[in-house]
Amino acid sequence: MNHARRHKMGFWVLFSAPMLWWVTVLLVPYLIMLSISFYSRQFPFHVPDFQFGNYAILLQDSQYWTVLLRSVKVSILVSLAAFAMGYPLAYFLAFKVRSERLRLFLYVATIVPLWVSYLLRAYTWKTILGSEGILNSFLMWIGVLDEPSSLFLYNEFAMVVTMAYIFTPFMVMPIYASLEKIPRSLIEASKDLGAGRFSTFLRITLPLTMPGVLAGFTFTFGLSVGDFVSPLLVGGPYSNMISNVIATQFGMAMNWPLGAALGVVMLFIVLGVITASDKLERAGRLNLG
Amino acid sequence: MKNRLLSTVGAAILAAGIAASGQAKADGELNVLTWEGYTDPSFVEGFEAATGCKVTPTYVGSNDEFPAKLAGGGGIYDLVSPSIDTTSIMIKAGFVEPIDTSRLEHWSEVYPQFSGHDGINVDGEVYGVPYTWGAIPFMYRADAFETAPTSITQLWDDPALAGKISLWDDKTNLYITARMLYGNDADIYDLSDEQLAEVRDKLIELKPKIRKYWASAGELVNLYANGEVTISNTWGGYQSALLAEQGIEMVEFIPEENADGWADSWQIVKGTPNEDCAYQWLNYAISPEGQCGVVNITGYSGSNPTALETCKTPEEMAALHQDDFGYIDSLVLWQEPARIDAYINTWNAVKAAE
Repeated sequence: MNHARRHKMGFWVLFSAPMLWWVTVLLVPYLIMLSISFYSRQFPFHVPDFQFGNYAILLQDSQYWTVLLRSVKVSILVSLAAFAMGYPLAYFLAFKVRSERLRLFLYVATIVPLWVSYLLRAYTWKTILGSEGILNSFLMWIGVLDEPSSLFLYNEFAMVVTMAYIFTPFMVMPIYASLEKIPRSLIEASKDLGAGRFSTFLRITLPLTMPGVLAGFTFTFGLSVGDFVSPLLVGGPYSNMISNVIATQFGMAMNWPLGAALGVVMLFIVLGVITASDKLERAGRLNLG
Repeated sequence: MKNRLLSTVGAAILAAGIAASGQAKADGELNVLTWEGYTDPSFVEGFEAATGCKVTPTYVGSNDEFPAKLAGGGGIYDLVSPSIDTTSIMIKAGFVEPIDTSRLEHWSEVYPQFSGHDGINVDGEVYGVPYTWGAIPFMYRADAFETAPTSITQLWDDPALAGKISLWDDKTNLYITARMLYGNDADIYDLSDEQLAEVRDKLIELKPKIRKYWASAGELVNLYANGEVTISNTWGGYQSALLAEQGIEMVEFIPEENADGWADSWQIVKGTPNEDCAYQWLNYAISPEGQCGVVNITGYSGSNPTALETCKTPEEMAALHQDDFGYIDSLVLWQEPARIDAYINTWNAVKAAE
């Protein structure tokens, strides 16, 4: 057996399992979803077909656009909120905490909620934001409110707060990783050249962490746009998201073709976001030379 | 005299039959897709001890979930308990199998209006064993209303109810809204596209005053217990009793627009490997133990009045309308809508609307 053949065999031994996995649990299901999206709904099920009627319904019926736009809007708000909280936290961890031990402790404390069930954490927000919840009780106790406000729970605000809390670790991790990689000499050089702290941050630190920021935005956007638990638990009558509609089509409406078409649209939206963030990241890299 | 002799002999044969079926232990498992309260441990434990069949429930929040869960690879379920408007869909979809009623000791005692209903009788075969029935009334917190509401138009008209309303996340909201718009005699199960659009717009108009659509008995109970809402529709008898246990007094009422009536039946999932256990459960469900068990837990009415007489006083029977079957005819009993896809789509459009 010559070297090249042995090399080839090694390749297959190493990669056949992951490739088989990729094909069976990712590629094949995507193809099945794509083909079902062309089927026709026929009570009580559907029949194999090749037609674009399901996509036409998505274009014509405004209910799908309403929900799609709402999902994108909520996901952008969640990503912005997670960024607003996550970046300062990551910056503090990477630059301000001197003790290695304390830094590790704080980092673990940031991501450890990920080990707690999503449902449990969403339920907890219910008890915080509810009419008789902790927030209302506190605001009434300090005299800000005379009677409990219903503005905190069962609406978009509650969804954004809950998801931002749950997904912030996904923003902190990549930003922290990119902050940590910045050579301290660059910061010192900037200061030596007369740049103030703010200017150093804007012109050196922030541009160098853009890959981390973009990765964080991609994670949080992707996770929120596909979320269907927080609308059920803390959302209200106006909180239906696209994943709830997909679940409804596969569930009570038993309209798999329409649900599959929605799934394909979602897939392309998320792929579009990933491609865009990838392009932005490459563009950023070029600028830095 | 002769009659009494006959019934005594009959009872003896029946008792022997039960004893015999009890001895024929059918160890196994029953995975049931059902409503909250229908397999409560308080009366299921006795069944499990007597038959060796272990019952594991999964709960649904609406009838539409029964066919959906079975379509999505529902091979794990042995029994389902849809309402009479969905049993027919289960039959047409081929999800359930005919039931040999000769294996059911109490079959003849079941209200004939239910056992002979079109929803479970197709081509001379029986596909369901009636279990419970009741109404979908509205209810309100007694301490939140000075004058009792009488019509659902108040949901729209009374500004004080803003943010205090909850509605079931279910297509049946279309029915009562249609009765409000077109009168109580309207054919609510065959609405035209224009009518469905009007009903949709009316329900969208109400959305700003809705706090939350409830999707399970537990969720509605929590909404009231946490002071979020004061009025909603309800599974008559059940959630109000759960709230009473928490010291919250609820008043159920049938509005001027009348209330939907419902009747649930057990069906056997086609190809179940646990058929013996399934029949044991069907037997138990309409026996005195099963009927008294489920009626005590849920507050619904039962399908077998003879069985309920063993544990209920005449007053209690009257409160459950078990002595007056005409009551169900005064409600608007659910049936499969002529165009179910259009109905579900209308309800989805209400939920999606901005």
